Amino acid sequence: MNNSMKNNKIIELEMGGGGKKSEELIGNIRNILSVKGKWQNTKDDGAVFELFASRTRATNAGHTNFNSKSFSKLVFTTDAFIVDPLFFPGGDIGKIAICGTLNDLAVMGAKPIGISLSLVIEEGFTQADLEKIIQSINKISKITGVPIVTGDTKVTEKGKIDKIEITISGVGLASKIISNDGAKVGDDIIVSGDLGEHAVALLAKRFNYQTKIKSDCQPLIDEIQSVSKYLTSCKDPTRGGMAAVLNEMSQKSKTKFVLEEKTLSYKKETVAISELLGIDVFSFPSEGRFVATVPKKYSKKVIKILQKFNKSAKIIGWVGRSASSADKGGGVWLKTKIGSIKRIETPRGKLIPRIC
Amino acid sequence: MFADKIGMCLAIPAKIIKINDQLAIVDFQGVKKEINISLVDVKTGDFVMVHAGFAIEKMEEDNVKEIKEYLK
Amino acid sequence: MEYKKILKNIQEKAERIDRPIRFMELCGTHSEVIAKYGIKNILPKNIQLITGPGCPVCVIDQSEIDIVTGLALAGIPIACYGDATNIPGSLGSLENARQKGARVFIVYDVAEALELSKKISNLVFWGIGFETTTVMTAWGIQNNLTVFSSHKLFPPAMEALLKNNKIRVDGFIDPGHVSAIIGTEVYEKFQIPQVVAGFEAKDVLRAIEMLLTQIITKEKKVENEYARLVKKEGNLKAKKVISEVFEVRNAFWRGLGEIKNSGLKIRKKYQHLDAEFIHRDLIAKIKKEIRPKKNTRLDSRGRPLVDARRVCRCGEVLQGIISSKQCKLFGKYCTPDNPQGACMVSREGSCNINFRFNE
Repeated sequence: MNNSMKNNKIIELEMGGGGKKSEELIGNIRNILSVKGKWQNTKDDGAVFELFASRTRATNAGHTNFNSKSFSKLVFTTDAFIVDPLFFPGGDIGKIAICGTLNDLAVMGAKPIGISLSLVIEEGFTQADLEKIIQSINKISKITGVPIVTGDTKVTEKGKIDKIEITISGVGLASKIISNDGAKVGDDIIVSGDLGEHAVALLAKRFNYQTKIKSDCQPLIDEIQSVSKYLTSCKDPTRGGMAAVLNEMSQKSKTKFVLEEKTLSYKKETVAISELLGIDVFSFPSEGRFVATVPKKYSKKVIKILQKFNKSAKIIGWVGRSASSADKGGGVWLKTKIGSIKRIETPRGKLIPRIC
Repeated sequence: MFADKIGMCLAIPAKIIKINDQLAIVDFQGVKKEINISLVDVKTGDFVMVHAGFAIEKMEEDNVKEIKEYLK
Repeated sequence: MEYKKILKNIQEKAERIDRPIRFMELCGTHSEVIAKYGIKNILPKNIQLITGPGCPVCVIDQSEIDIVTGLALAGIPIACYGDATNIPGSLGSLENARQKGARVFIVYDVAEALELSKKISNLVFWGIGFETTTVMTAWGIQNNLTVFSSHKLFPPAMEALLKNNKIRVDGFIDPGHVSAIIGTEVYEKFQIPQVVAGFEAKDVLRAIEMLLTQIITKEKKVENEYARLVKKEGNLKAKKVISEVFEVRNAFWRGLGEIKNSGLKIRKKYQHLDAEFIHRDLIAKIKKEIRPKKNTRLDSRGRPLVDARRVCRCGEVLQGIISSKQCKLFGKYCTPDNPQGACMVSREGSCNINFRFNE
């Protein structure tokens, strides 16, 4: 057990923030869980199980585009949601819960085929609110054609939980996995659109600012599927924002990620809120965006396709050779507007609690 | 309320949108908030520097163009 | 493109001067901009930037932290800005007190504290900061907010720095928002090149260029790079509000010791809103409690002497005598997650900034 577990006898708020302390907590839990089985990519957004070669017939899959390609991999993921407030501009806890899980499958390159829905509800929660939340979940389920196939519902006494907690697990099928460690030197780094707007919507609500910006929460299945064959690595920048995911991708691929301040993808309102609240904009989560690495020869084509979904999709940097220790990767670097180069670290500190 | 990361000195110029006695709605690059303007003499359309919920000073007319340059 | 020109000018001027030059930025926000944009790394090698004591939370004397924490532990509800809750004291921090059941409320601004005080009648707002936040606290007091004042005036600290011969400084980057309140005239008595700067990277670079020019032309004047906001006379309305509510007194600054006429005390006419007066008995009790135990060696100010190797060196960092890296605790035993001293606690603290931006 490392220092962290020994010194901290209680679970701290920071450990749920998506930054360094979260990494440590998760690492310590993993150290205890000893059965691995035949699953791969267990440190990715979804775990992968190699099925025996089988042809999956296209069944009632609604809008997702199944054909007779062989899907040899099963991808399985889960996510718990405690977002506060429950209802925010652009969505609610239901929408973010289902999109979160669908997107975890999508960024692995998988097509979701079914999800589960577990609810733990505090006594006193209104039926009307519950219905609103379930309607939100249903709306996304209809749009994407992914059914909720199983679930569980529990109610606790008042005060034992804060209003409602939702856990959604999901299963998807993939022929090719896009892992988070596949970035190659020479790749471009792309984003599917302006970042951080989920954070803006929630922070604005919490701190009483008015803005037109709504949460960017949305399913990414079609967007990713439209370009998945070109992506070498892919993640959605939720907790911990772009800073957290790019650092993870750089570390796992043992490469260096370089971004340019001039081409960064944040709306002026997003930057304004980050300055007003003193929270680093690179740590702002998005719930309907992805960042990916693409070989240079395909990046313009990929952006052109993605811009059909979101005009603000763009190239924000490139992947270089890691000069320093190969274990940690080269890190994430920013070329500032004045010409200096600054490292962007994985966020530390309390960050923003209960943002997803 | 979570306010652990609130920076005290951080401030960006804000435009006065609507005045209501000692308070005003200001606009920071598309983000609006109500702040206290009792320490300055301003009218709608003026730019002010806001610090911890108060306008601390008005930005001068001839400097507004300069401000807009900085805001780009 | 403009940056290239300013940087080129800085390079040329630094070469002309051709000796080590040290500028001190006096405001925590300037330190943050400098660290955020890696300005130190892009300046010519003979220019050194030192961080001054411009972090209001960092310079609060230990005894004041202990008094406020003591009040909280004794059941007095306290409201304050976020950074102040994590400064370690002899009785723990305010955050520790909150975890033990004390009522500690983090507020974003004085208006919020005032709203809270309408629901919690004996709420005390801990007034921290230099002239910029002092004016807001004064407004609060005029509107019936009870306050414990740790407010300080900035120019006396600048004077103290200049008198200290352990520090060699060739120029000051003067604070931005403090200057918006107090104006620039008040700096003119200091015999050193000064430029009041704004908070964009461009502003700071321009200020450095202007300071270099002063050195070349052997001038020692106060220039205003932040003219779009700062006036020579400052904000007269704001200054009036401060002097109506506060009077000057001596104050202890962490790291700099006692500085005459650098503190602000609530005037007698507002005594009924002065927590130091209202809770004077309780405060006397707290002061007795935090007095060092017998058989401890004391220094000239009555503070217990500790092993210098293991102690926090915030005091020296605040004066720019050493850099964060030179403190043995920095980064290893003292981090934002586990701060040993005020410079690491506050977001405007030199060590906190250096840690976050890897300086």
